[in-house]
Amino acid sequence: MKKYYLVARNTWDEVLTYRASFVMWRVRSVIQVLTIYFLWQVVVPPGKALLGYTQPLIATYILGTLLLESIVLSSRSYIVGSEINNGNLMNFLLRPINYFAYWFSRDLGDKAMNICFSIAELTIIFLILRPSLFIQTDIFYLSFFIVSIILSIFLYFFINFLLGLIGFWSPEIWAPRFIFITLLGFFAGSLFPLDILPDTIYNIVKFLPFSYLMFFPIKIYLGQLSFMEIISGLMISAFWVFAIYGLVKIVWMKGLRSYTAYGK
Amino acid sequence: MIISVSHLSKNFQVHQKDPGLVGSVKSLFARKYETVKAVDDISFNIEEGELIGFIGPNGAGKTTTLKCLSGLLYPTSGKISVMDFNPYNRKPEFLRQISLVMGQKNQLWWDLPATDTFLLNKEIYGVEDKKYNEIVGELTKLLDVKDILKIPVKKLSLGQRMKMELMASLIHNPKVLFLDEPTIGLDVLMQKKLREFIREYNIRFKATVILTSHYMQDVEQLCKRVIIINFGKIIFDGLLNSLVEKYSPHKRIKVMLAEYADPKQVYKLGKISKFEYPELILDVPNKKANSTAAAILKNFQVEDITIEDPQIEDVIAKVYAENKR
Repeated sequence: MKKYYLVARNTWDEVLTYRASFVMWRVRSVIQVLTIYFLWQVVVPPGKALLGYTQPLIATYILGTLLLESIVLSSRSYIVGSEINNGNLMNFLLRPINYFAYWFSRDLGDKAMNICFSIAELTIIFLILRPSLFIQTDIFYLSFFIVSIILSIFLYFFINFLLGLIGFWSPEIWAPRFIFITLLGFFAGSLFPLDILPDTIYNIVKFLPFSYLMFFPIKIYLGQLSFMEIISGLMISAFWVFAIYGLVKIVWMKGLRSYTAYGK
Repeated sequence: MIISVSHLSKNFQVHQKDPGLVGSVKSLFARKYETVKAVDDISFNIEEGELIGFIGPNGAGKTTTLKCLSGLLYPTSGKISVMDFNPYNRKPEFLRQISLVMGQKNQLWWDLPATDTFLLNKEIYGVEDKKYNEIVGELTKLLDVKDILKIPVKKLSLGQRMKMELMASLIHNPKVLFLDEPTIGLDVLMQKKLREFIREYNIRFKATVILTSHYMQDVEQLCKRVIIINFGKIIFDGLLNSLVEKYSPHKRIKVMLAEYADPKQVYKLGKISKFEYPELILDVPNKKANSTAAAILKNFQVEDITIEDPQIEDVIAKVYAENKR
């Protein structure tokens, strides 16, 4: 187990070598979130509610995406594709190490760093803007909130990994990833709560994996879902985790076969 | 016998395209594949502790063979056994005992000092603290790298980085070491150091080493036994000495004459390659080299005389030329 801990720690150290770049990256996320935050401050005036969201709720929702982004969406495993492509994958096939676990550890190292930063940022934002926030105290919602986050971490990891595996067949690994990022920007709910969409669209979105990365966990935190909704959401989310995991396994085996049979 | 290979073949499917736009469109619809035999029915055995040179021109199949031996490529046909393992299964017990170093690939963490990679490899291979300290200490001394262990890899020169790559690959003290052009791109001095290190490692740890290289110096100075491969086939497998015997049974005697010599006298000596006063060059069979030289010294006024062994490069070039497809 210690090897995976070291992988995570090395990733953490690696992030620290490019401090300026990392800080710029964080600044970008903060600006993005603040833009959306101020937009919603205007749309939902104090004391009023819009589409079921009061100002504290929407403020919590938007600022919550900053934290969730660092927990769920920060990762390193986007490198998998180029690593397969340039042949560095060989180094891992020749070592007694699990390639999946290796990348998952790297992701965790990256997440740890991002979480630290986003907590600091949120503290600063809170001290300056003094927004009224919604604090969830119900242990029921909090525990489901954590469970849903764990599922979303795995979900995002497997989707990410799957996109990287394209590297087995094509050097064009970025095009599909850009499509995914675009879809993610809209359907994960980092711009607006997805339930303000028309019912028909919202009902479709509920069955796609994207909303379970951010929207669903925050909704649980806000206590806006019934027990049944939480359970069905967790089931759909778990379904996607296992489905995409299975797909990753199959694609990995196929890719490895073509990799080792033909070589680069 | 630590490695045995019998009738190993490895084919690749390569698609072909005619030049130009028309060719591109054509290949979109009907791709022509050609089967390339990278390795074609080769067999050899290697004993424990041997240091073997695997040589051949570009594209001869050296790297493909090494990849098959280390389990990266699945053979098209034939059998491989390395320490009684089938490499392709890549069992952890097998992986813990081998290492493949490629001069053109790197495993070090680019932004971190090499020590971080070493420590990670220590955990990956489950090396105990005591053994780790021992081997790192030893390798540090052998390679003389004490000062650069804590510098981020990206700041190192190519030669320094290669040393670190080697070290990282040896943390687990592999019994079988595959080196694919470890000296590529290094300067002469660094090449020499690395060669000394490889020899030292081979002796001290009784490791079996298979080395591929373009530089004949590497092979000449390190390996007793060589395997020459070309167009996927083994064309020579044996001692380096006997290779020289077989392909170049002559030594070259170069003489600088001090005085004019009668050509009639000179031509009695044997086969003359070149005679332009004052220079005289003869190629004589190995066994007669000494007596011929003695005869020259006795019968002529000589300013300078040298007896040269054939250049290994020339021998190899001859081997390649004789085995053209």
